[in-house]
Amino acid sequence: MHMVRYANQNNRSSGSGLATVSPWTGLENEIDRLFNTALTNFGASRFGHQFPVGVYEDANNTYVRAELPGVNRDEINVEMVDGSLNISAARKQKNGDVEESFSFSRSISLPDGIHTDRVAATYENGILTVTLPKREEAKPKKISVTVN
Amino acid sequence: MSLFSSLIQSRDRNAERMDDGRLGQAVKPHYDIVDSKDGYALTVYLPGVSKEGLQITAENNELRVVGRPAWKRPDGWTTLYNEATEVPFELALEHDNSIDVEKIHAELRDGVLRASLPKAEALRPRRIAVN
Repeated sequence: MHMVRYANQNNRSSGSGLATVSPWTGLENEIDRLFNTALTNFGASRFGHQFPVGVYEDANNTYVRAELPGVNRDEINVEMVDGSLNISAARKQKNGDVEESFSFSRSISLPDGIHTDRVAATYENGILTVTLPKREEAKPKKISVTVN
Repeated sequence: MSLFSSLIQSRDRNAERMDDGRLGQAVKPHYDIVDSKDGYALTVYLPGVSKEGLQITAENNELRVVGRPAWKRPDGWTTLYNEATEVPFELALEHDNSIDVEKIHAELRDGVLRASLPKAEALRPRRIAVN
C-alpha cells in the first residue's frame, strides 16, 4: 500500500486561515484515515466468513440474492434443508505465487410453502440469485365477494 | 458494516466529501493492493456491477473507481430482508504520480475488478552499471 499517500495538512502556522479552517482539520483527517484502515481490515475479515444477502418475494416466488463476487460457478452449492436455504461457495485467489482459497457459507431460513424440488439459481456479475417457487396453497388468493 | 457506518461519523463525512452532485451517497468497496517490482495489482470487489456501470478515471494524482449496481428491484417484488447495499461503490486512491496511467489494464469479471497499475519508468528499480 505504498501507493496511497496522504498529505497531512498542518494548519498550526496559518494565521489568516484560522477564521475559516478548523484547527482540528489535520487531526480529523488523521482519525478518518485510521478508521478507514481499521474498517477496511474489519470488512475483509468479516467478508471471509459471511456475505450479504437479500430476501424478496412476489406473488409466485421467493428470491434470495447473495453477493458472491469472483467465485467459481462450479464451487457454488445451493441446498434446501428443513426449510432453510444453505449457500456455500469458494474463491481462489492468487497472491503472487501462492494460491489461497477462501470458503464461505450461509444458512437462511425461509417461509413455509416452497416447492423445494423446483428451486433454480443463476449467477451474474458476482450475484447469486436463487428463485424458490411458492406452492399453490402459499400463494395469495383472490376471493371475490359479491356485495348485495 | 451498517452498524459501523451509522456509529462512526468518519464514513459519513467521507461520503459527503466524495459527493460532487452526480453520485450522491456511495460506499467504499472491499479492495486490496499488492505491490510488485513492475507495478501494483489492484483488486476491487464490486458485486452486482456490470461493465456498463463501471467507470475508472485517472485525474491528477487520483485514481477513482465508480461502480453502479446493474440490478434494480423489479416492480412487484417486496423486500423481506436486505443486507446488501443499493448505492454505488466508490473508491478513490491517491498516488504520487508513481504509476503510468496510460498503461493501466483493467478487467471486470463476476463482480471483481482486477487492474494492473504499472509503475512509471523512472520509479522502477534499476541497476546502474559501474565502469
